[in-house]
Amino acid sequence: MNEQALRRLTDAITDTVLRKIATGSKDGKAEAAANKITALPSTVNDDITRMKQSTSARIAVGRAGARLRTDTYLAFRADHAAARDAVLLDVNLDFLARLGLESVSTRCADKNEFLTRPDLGRVFPHESLEKIHTLNPEPVDVLVYLADGLSSRAVEANGETILPILLEGLRGTGLKVGQPFFVCYGRVGTMEEITQTVGAAVTCVLLGERPGLGSAESMSAYFAYNAHPGMSESGRTVISNIYAGGINAAEAGAYLTEALERAFREKKSGV
Amino acid sequence: MEKLYSVGIDVGTSTTQVVFSELCVADTSGHFRIPEAKITDKRVLYRSPIHPTPLLDFTRIDADALRQIVATEYKNAGISVGGTDTGAVIITGESARKENAAAVLAGLSGFAGKFVVATAGPDLESRIAGQGSGAQEFSRMRKCGVVNLDIGGGTTNLAFFQSGDFVGCSCYDIGGKMLQIASGGTLSAMSHSAQNALRYLNLRLTIGTVPERRVLEKLATVLADELATAAQGKTSALLEKLRTPGSSLPPARVFADSRISYSGGVADCIWDDTLSELAYGDFGVYLGKAIRGNVLSERVLRSEETIRATVIGAGSHTTELSGSTVHYSSAELFPLQDIPVYAASSEQEAALWRGDCADFAQDFLNFIHQTDSPHAAVELNGKANPGYRELTLLARALVRSLTGQPLIILLHEDNAKVLGQLMRPLAGGRALIVLDSIYAGANTYLDIGKPVLGGMTLPVIVKTLILGV
Repeated sequence: MNEQALRRLTDAITDTVLRKIATGSKDGKAEAAANKITALPSTVNDDITRMKQSTSARIAVGRAGARLRTDTYLAFRADHAAARDAVLLDVNLDFLARLGLESVSTRCADKNEFLTRPDLGRVFPHESLEKIHTLNPEPVDVLVYLADGLSSRAVEANGETILPILLEGLRGTGLKVGQPFFVCYGRVGTMEEITQTVGAAVTCVLLGERPGLGSAESMSAYFAYNAHPGMSESGRTVISNIYAGGINAAEAGAYLTEALERAFREKKSGV
Repeated sequence: MEKLYSVGIDVGTSTTQVVFSELCVADTSGHFRIPEAKITDKRVLYRSPIHPTPLLDFTRIDADALRQIVATEYKNAGISVGGTDTGAVIITGESARKENAAAVLAGLSGFAGKFVVATAGPDLESRIAGQGSGAQEFSRMRKCGVVNLDIGGGTTNLAFFQSGDFVGCSCYDIGGKMLQIASGGTLSAMSHSAQNALRYLNLRLTIGTVPERRVLEKLATVLADELATAAQGKTSALLEKLRTPGSSLPPARVFADSRISYSGGVADCIWDDTLSELAYGDFGVYLGKAIRGNVLSERVLRSEETIRATVIGAGSHTTELSGSTVHYSSAELFPLQDIPVYAASSEQEAALWRGDCADFAQDFLNFIHQTDSPHAAVELNGKANPGYRELTLLARALVRSLTGQPLIILLHEDNAKVLGQLMRPLAGGRALIVLDSIYAGANTYLDIGKPVLGGMTLPVIVKTLILGV
């Protein structure tokens, strides 16, 4: 069952149960349970509400006998399905067309290989590198590109906002900015071969973070000055949690503009 | 980490106090996130003794004597005039209604340093007393509701907090100096509010005679009950008669389990049972005792600060920081003072996001003409997760409708840096300031200090300048 179907089912069941309670069902047990909930002293309810508001974790969800209540269980299943979808589905081709992005692939042949062979997700076959070189025949000051990483949903949710703001901002600073593209089955390390191929001073990849049960739409930006194969991880700077519940994509784009400009000016990145 | 030095001066109905504090500012975000500047610590460095507010007569403050008090306190604290980065002079309670309040404030504000503001108004006063008393911090730590009642000489300021958020306030003309009692025990003065309350209760007191103890106790008990009602966010016929002009209505919902804290001079009279009834020559001790006997006392907290709550609030809690991703064209623009705020209506804002500025531009121009200020700030709500296209439309509409410079935009949501970046190429070299995480509201003014933490954030004071309403 996919995410949407699960959510529909959850809503339908919750709805039915609530209506039964409201119309006075013959099921005395359900009614008693419902009364018990509403009969909690208001101060306890206030406390629970405040606790629930302070976290996105599944706290104070109640129980049905020894197990989770059906709506809790279904909501959990739906969120889990959303996370799996984000990892397993590919970025929509219409989305790439709308942004005018060419797509290149790493050495991974499919999703399964991408997930099981991290090493192949950092390197490219010859044709891909050639395509990147054709898009960027001359060395540039800053190169920005998108990659699916572990969440295609994150790319689709934020790419359309962050990319134009970043490109427009960078051009405004007078830097020579490369032609962006999309990397399919791409990990952070793709920036190493790409930087060498294009001859970029600063390279930045925007990619989907591993989804959690809280959000499947979070994006990270990794960038490095003079990225090269074998570079250490500490040479990269990362800005994480780019999504509606963290830093919004637009503001992140403006912040990143400044950060990339600074990395270029000061010739450094990382921690 | 950086330190800001702050001065707080409170000229109240019966007392005047000065405190100096330091505010520590630091980036609290991790390596892998966008920076987040916060005030991480507040420490009071010096507390002045409590001076009686010098008065020339019942309607005027003695400005010269007041300046002398403040000058002496700077000297005692070992801080040079102008050695503070920020702060606030506030004039509270009945003092704000004296004939020469505005002139007194202006004089002190100029005297006490460059980035110090003159500010007043019952709502702000309520909030900072609640912050200075420690009520807000308690509410934040325990994730509970706290109502702070700051009972001074002239007014009682209520501030409502929920999980550390300020959710509302109200203010009533109830205080220790409602009735003043001379050393011989005769009644020497009565405020308007005392007369109102007595008339409502069918009680009678005559100036120049010794007041009947029964009447004083009756009045104190009734007022203590009324305050308990007010602390629940409710009102009554008598409370409405005693509401301070220009104060807000309490918030619509107050959690039933909210704790209560008392600050202000009268708070000390609640706990101290050794005080003689005429210790301060006024009604304060009667009121304090009546509150102690009140039914709500089981939920009462002992405040960290009582009589100094307002001045500590003024010194440590009036300065806030803008968001950490902001835009300004030059650090040379600051400090900026007394910028009037134009809060755009939600309809106007919606139109601006669609790129339509006709309505807004005209209104804003009228506003500027009314204020006598060369520029004004526009306050917008912003959007939690705005798209690229709508942002460009908004940037264009704002640049087109704002005249003069610098262009100053305030946003609630985290949109400042991106909006600034999009507006800059359109502004044609005009100076531009875009800040977020600032909530000002209509009828407020802003002071913006020099950028701190390497330019990441700016200290901002939002103030109201409503005197003698």
